[in-house]
Amino acid sequence: MSELRVENLSKSYGKMKALDKVNLTVKPSEFLVVMGPSGCGKTTLLLTVLGVLKPDEGRMYIDGKDIDSLRISERNIGYAPQDFGLFPHLSTHDNVAFGLRAKARGKSEVEACVAEMLSLVGLEGLEQRKPSELSGGQKQRVALARALAINPYLLLLDEPLSNIDEITKAEVKVNLKETVKRTGVTTVCVMHDAEDALELGDRIAVMHAGRVIQCATPTDLLKNPEGELVRELLHHLVKIQ
Amino acid sequence: MQTETKIGEPAKKSLDKFNLALRMMAGAFILFMLVSLFYLYVAVGSSWGLVAKALFDSRILGALWISVSSAFIVGAIAIVVAIPTAYVLTYNNFRGKTLMETLLIEFPQTFPPATVGLVYLLMLGPGSPIDIAYTYPAVIIAKLYVSAPFALSFTLRRFREIHRTGLDVIAESLGGRTRHVLFWVLIPLSAIDLLGGFSLTWARAMGELAATLIFAGAIQWKTEIFPVVVLTTSQSDPPLALAASLIAAVLSIVALMIFKWIVGRRR
Repeated sequence: MSELRVENLSKSYGKMKALDKVNLTVKPSEFLVVMGPSGCGKTTLLLTVLGVLKPDEGRMYIDGKDIDSLRISERNIGYAPQDFGLFPHLSTHDNVAFGLRAKARGKSEVEACVAEMLSLVGLEGLEQRKPSELSGGQKQRVALARALAINPYLLLLDEPLSNIDEITKAEVKVNLKETVKRTGVTTVCVMHDAEDALELGDRIAVMHAGRVIQCATPTDLLKNPEGELVRELLHHLVKIQ
Repeated sequence: MQTETKIGEPAKKSLDKFNLALRMMAGAFILFMLVSLFYLYVAVGSSWGLVAKALFDSRILGALWISVSSAFIVGAIAIVVAIPTAYVLTYNNFRGKTLMETLLIEFPQTFPPATVGLVYLLMLGPGSPIDIAYTYPAVIIAKLYVSAPFALSFTLRRFREIHRTGLDVIAESLGGRTRHVLFWVLIPLSAIDLLGGFSLTWARAMGELAATLIFAGAIQWKTEIFPVVVLTTSQSDPPLALAASLIAAVLSIVALMIFKWIVGRRR
């Protein structure tokens, strides 16, 4: 259970400011949803914390430790991208075992952890299936199990529901929240859908034009949207009457 | 007057002149590419005994062995060196990278092979600290320079494709170091392309002539390769040269078809 702190994080692509002095603290075990329209900088924020993008300025801390200089492999951050990013040549079992093997864990430890993770996401019996033989919801659960298997300080989810069909979405949403809560991992989840965000997030950070314009619990956000912009976003996305 | 197509009636096939022109151009090119092989078959067809004779000719057998074995070694070395080179070119940005890629991939394919042979002869021939001219390693080196770009080009293209999918980043986020990304992600996902690169490198190495002849010479059972035998016997014994060419052509086609079959099965 770790805390993520982001201070004055900025990142530009040419003249376009993708992140503009972002300040954010994600408390231990908190499920923070970063929400906003396309191009607001939410994925850039995720990829910068992960270490794929280098910030132009600002610092990032996990449990008070500066992670800026750490390589992606040294940050111990679980990441599940929008398209799940499963290794197509590996079975469900080997996908989940990837990080444990990379960290040179013993065979019995790997087997026990993979079994525990697959049980956690309810995928027992599908160990030998390749990603091409799984449904969207199952792929999402494998990606989650794989990211959680390394016992990460932080879990980053990029639009976890965008590649799930509407029929299974509700079930996936419940499973996702339950699984994350059971492990207690601090989570930052990027979403564009306000309804999903309000349902999943302990707190929601609303982003616009590279800035976090409000960060509050779903109730506070609905009751007291700060400024016209948040009100408009919520009104537009949730259709509040 | 415009004719209407009623529902249920097959549409009247209109004569698409542009489509026809494309077909004719493709046909002409296909004919051009296949006619030489067909002519080879016809020319030898009158005297199949010559093919049998060629198969038992010690000089031809020697050249066949040198050609095939060296092409396999060149293919294997090309893959081994293409993997780290493709990795470096995929994951590192540096000044002059485009020029570097041109010098490694396109340039060797356009540089006259005779000049390649001459450069190696001066650099690694008589009088130089390392003299390997007219040896089997010289055959390998000459063929490698001319053929390896195929392996590199296939590998580099695939590594870049995988990099764009972000699977390498996921491997890293899971704690994977360079060796894990390379051996557990990049290489397994590039297996077909590596095989494709190997087969084209092998085929190019089989056909290489000038660089090898100048740098390695033509010593029977040591450095004399198949194209050299064809070249030297085409004046003194043209039917034998034709028969030898047919053997080489059949061998190449069969080998390439086997590679393609393996690639097809893996897909």
